[in-house]
Amino acid sequence: MKENNLAFYLKIYFKIISQDIKSKMSYRSDFIISTIGMIFTNIAGFVSFWIIFRNFPSINGWTYNEILFLYGFSLISLTPVQCLFDNNWNLRTHVYSGDFIKYYFRPINMFFYYQSEIFDVKGLGQLAFGIGTLAYSWHKIGLAVTPLSILMVIVFIITASLVMIALQNAAAATCFWLQNSFFILDFVNKFRDYARYPITIFNPVFKFIFTFVMPIAFIAYYPSLVILRPDSIPLLSWLSPLFGIVFFFLSYKFWMFGASKYSGTGS
Amino acid sequence: MKLKKYGTLVRAGLMESLQYRASAFVLVIGNLLYLIIIYFLWKAIYASAGTDTVSGMTFSETLIYLVLATALFNFMEMYIVWDMGRSIQSGDMVLMLLKPMEYRSYLFWSYSGEHIMQFITTFLPTFLIVCIVTHGAIPLGINLVYFVISVVMALLINYYINFFVGTICLYTESIWGINIMKQVIVMLLSGVTVPIAFFPETLQKIVYCLPFQSIYNAPLTLLLDGQPESGNVLSILVTQFLWCAVMGIACRLFWKLSIRQITVNGG
Repeated sequence: MKENNLAFYLKIYFKIISQDIKSKMSYRSDFIISTIGMIFTNIAGFVSFWIIFRNFPSINGWTYNEILFLYGFSLISLTPVQCLFDNNWNLRTHVYSGDFIKYYFRPINMFFYYQSEIFDVKGLGQLAFGIGTLAYSWHKIGLAVTPLSILMVIVFIITASLVMIALQNAAAATCFWLQNSFFILDFVNKFRDYARYPITIFNPVFKFIFTFVMPIAFIAYYPSLVILRPDSIPLLSWLSPLFGIVFFFLSYKFWMFGASKYSGTGS
Repeated sequence: MKLKKYGTLVRAGLMESLQYRASAFVLVIGNLLYLIIIYFLWKAIYASAGTDTVSGMTFSETLIYLVLATALFNFMEMYIVWDMGRSIQSGDMVLMLLKPMEYRSYLFWSYSGEHIMQFITTFLPTFLIVCIVTHGAIPLGINLVYFVISVVMALLINYYINFFVGTICLYTESIWGINIMKQVIVMLLSGVTVPIAFFPETLQKIVYCLPFQSIYNAPLTLLLDGQPESGNVLSILVTQFLWCAVMGIACRLFWKLSIRQITVNGG
């Protein structure tokens, strides 16, 4: 069997992940509590959102339902990073303790193997919440539901996810150089909460920063414009799939570069 | 000597936090970016509102409140739930219990050093910058004294809440889920993310009956009030004191009860 094709990797992926899910299921109470915790986070986020909009009818020409759309969009596009790339949070510990050395002895792509070890089930709650929010706001704004628009949403959500995954990969990979990289990961993680606001609220300098340096604007704002403001879609929205792929590729290279510098702890 | 051992723990904490200078740098940058986002977000919100005052707060009042709340949050942040949960899972808890010092006070004092450091590196600079930038929007008088008293009690309440939640981990073996629930509840109901003045009336009433607003809202209210009425100040401080006492006793009882039936895995 050829070892590089997609089918091979998919097969391995499901094998590894099913092991992880089995081991998680043996801690049933932890699983239930974590899921409830995730639901809490989403509800709390929504409540603070609702409180702000109780006092203010709109932000910068964006109505409540439109911002809700961004909110739902960002929740969905953050699901893959939560579910599939959660092992990035453990990278620091693996590197620090020396455990990480074991990944060098696997005959498949290291990045792939490392990320497939963990599947975070509780992210699915967020997905459900996000889909609900998106569907509700979609209906309220009165956007048409066509096969094309559904397809576009799916494509743009995937590309938006790639940006967030890229940010997290890069943040996690800093642990190959820095000892206490938790703060960097945590920092990036906090920023995703702000991805849900329209970028037009910022001045040009920060618009630039949040578009190209810390590309959180691609997590919800640019891709959702394609659906929300079909009359005037900026070029950056159309380019966002490209940006997603480029950012992801760069972060992957950075991650692998860090891994190639790792020399173990000697134990 | 009782005091000496506490002093040693505080010093150890101080030195430990000095160790991670890189992380302190990331924290500062992260906070700066976070504050910039808050600034633009609320500026856009107020610009869309059309009036200067919303729910009794002007833009600059809201901003000062949120900036200082964030600084206060960073200064008081602690990871006790994680510490306790991990030492249960790893079995280290046994070693902690064997120490000739109560675990509760051991944890508290070893965090104090870090708190002092955080106060100097995060809260104080933010406070001074806000003072200078706003040209005396923060009154400098007797309110500073009230603030300091209030902050010390806030720290205690925060510690007790964390410890209480950490004790729950003795039963659940779930850290992430429990911790995230605590975090979102505290963040939402303490007024860190959205000032309590914006809450709907019934929610405000509920929030004032809960301990969480005593952590961030109470000290900030005292700090920003230039002409404090003694009745008002007294009621805030007494409320905080009562919560300190209630939470302190609750923690003590819960811990004593739980410690009898913990099961520690190996060790």
